[in-house]
Amino acid sequence: MTALERRYRMLLIAYPRTYRAAHGDELIDVLLASARPTQSVPAVREALGLVLGGVRSRIAHLATGSAWVDGVHLGVTAVSAANLAALLPYAGVLPWWTLLSALAMFAVLRGRPRTAFALTALTGAKAVAVAGGWALFDLTLIPVAPTFMTGDFLFQRGGPFTVALGYAIVLLGLLALVWRGGPARVRSWWWWPVVPAIAWAGPAWMPDGAPYALSLSRMAVEVAVLGLAVMAAWLARDPRWALASGIYLLVALGELGSHADALTRQYVAYWGVLVLLTLAAAIVPYRPRRHCLD
Amino acid sequence: MPRGTSEVSEPMYFVLAALRGGPLHGHAISKSIQELSGGRVRPSVGTLYGILERLNERGVIAVDREETVNGRNRRYFRITDTGQALVEAEARRMYEVASLVLRPTTT
Repeated sequence: MTALERRYRMLLIAYPRTYRAAHGDELIDVLLASARPTQSVPAVREALGLVLGGVRSRIAHLATGSAWVDGVHLGVTAVSAANLAALLPYAGVLPWWTLLSALAMFAVLRGRPRTAFALTALTGAKAVAVAGGWALFDLTLIPVAPTFMTGDFLFQRGGPFTVALGYAIVLLGLLALVWRGGPARVRSWWWWPVVPAIAWAGPAWMPDGAPYALSLSRMAVEVAVLGLAVMAAWLARDPRWALASGIYLLVALGELGSHADALTRQYVAYWGVLVLLTLAAAIVPYRPRRHCLD
Repeated sequence: MPRGTSEVSEPMYFVLAALRGGPLHGHAISKSIQELSGGRVRPSVGTLYGILERLNERGVIAVDREETVNGRNRRYFRITDTGQALVEAEARRMYEVASLVLRPTTT
C-alpha cells in the first residue's frame, strides 16, 4: 500500500463503516487513478470532497427508518448524557450511582429502552431525592462535594424540579420507545466525550457571585451539537433532528425557568441561541427544492 | 445554468449526459464529465460518488454490472429510462431558454 493510498484510506473514515466495506476500495481505485504518478499527499480538493461526502453519507444513513422514533431516541440520548454529566464530578462520593447513570446511558446508546428505563428510573429517583434533601435507598450526606471538574456542590444550582424534569423527559421518551416495540438504533460512541465536556465547569467567564454560572464548555458542546443537527436536517430534509433538539431544549428551558429571578442578558442570549438553532433545524427540512433531484 | 424547480444540478446533468453513451465506471464518468464540460466541471471523487448514490437511489441511474479489477470492486453505472427522459427534458428546457437570447432578433 502506498503512502497516498494509506492517507486516502484515513480520509475514508468519514464514511459509514458499511459504505466503506462495500465501496471503499472502489473510491480508492478512482482516487489513485486520478492522482499524479509521484503524488504522495491527497489533493486538498479530493480530501475535502471525501470528508463532505462521508458526512453526507453518514447523515443519509442516519435519516432512515421512522423519524419520530429516531428523533425521540436521539433526544433521549442527549438528555441522558446531560444527566450523567451532572453526576460525573461527584463520582468519588457517589461512585455506584454515577456508574448506574453511565450504564443507563450505555443502554440508551445500545438501543435497549427497557433496560435504560429501569436504570434511569433508579438513578433519577436517587438524584431527585438528593436534590430535594430526602433520604432514599442509601444514606447520602448533603451537600455532596465535587471530586473534580467543578467547584459546586451537587445540584447546588438546581432544585428537585429541574433534576426531575431531565429524568422525566428521558423516562417518557423511553416509554414511547418501549411502547413502539423492538430495539432502537445503536448510537455512536462519540456521545461519550460529550459527557465530560458538559460536566466541566470551566473556563470561568461569568462574574464572580453569579447565582447560576453557565459553563463555557457546556455551551460550546450544546451549540456544536445543535449546529450539527441543523446541518443534518438541511442535508437530509428530515425532521428527526428538530425533534431531538426540541426534547433537549425542554430541559434547557426548565433550567431557565428555575432561575427566572436571576437571569441576565447573558443567560437570555444563551437560550436564544439554543432556541434559534432548534427552530432552524425545524425549518430547514422544508426549504424549497432547487431542482427535482435535490 | 438558471435555477428552477424542475431542473437538475449542473454536475448531475453532466453525469447523466456522460452515461448516455453507455455504462461507465466512476473514473470513466469523471473523465467524461471533464471532456463534455471542457474541463469546467470537475467534481471531486467524494462529490461524484455522492451524486451517483443519490441518482441511483432515485432510479435515474442503475448499477449495470460489477467487475473486480486489481482486487478492487468496480461498479458500472447506466442511465435508466427515467434518467434518459429527465436529461432530455432538461436539455430541451435549456435549449428553449438559450434560444431566447441566441436566435436572431427581428426588428
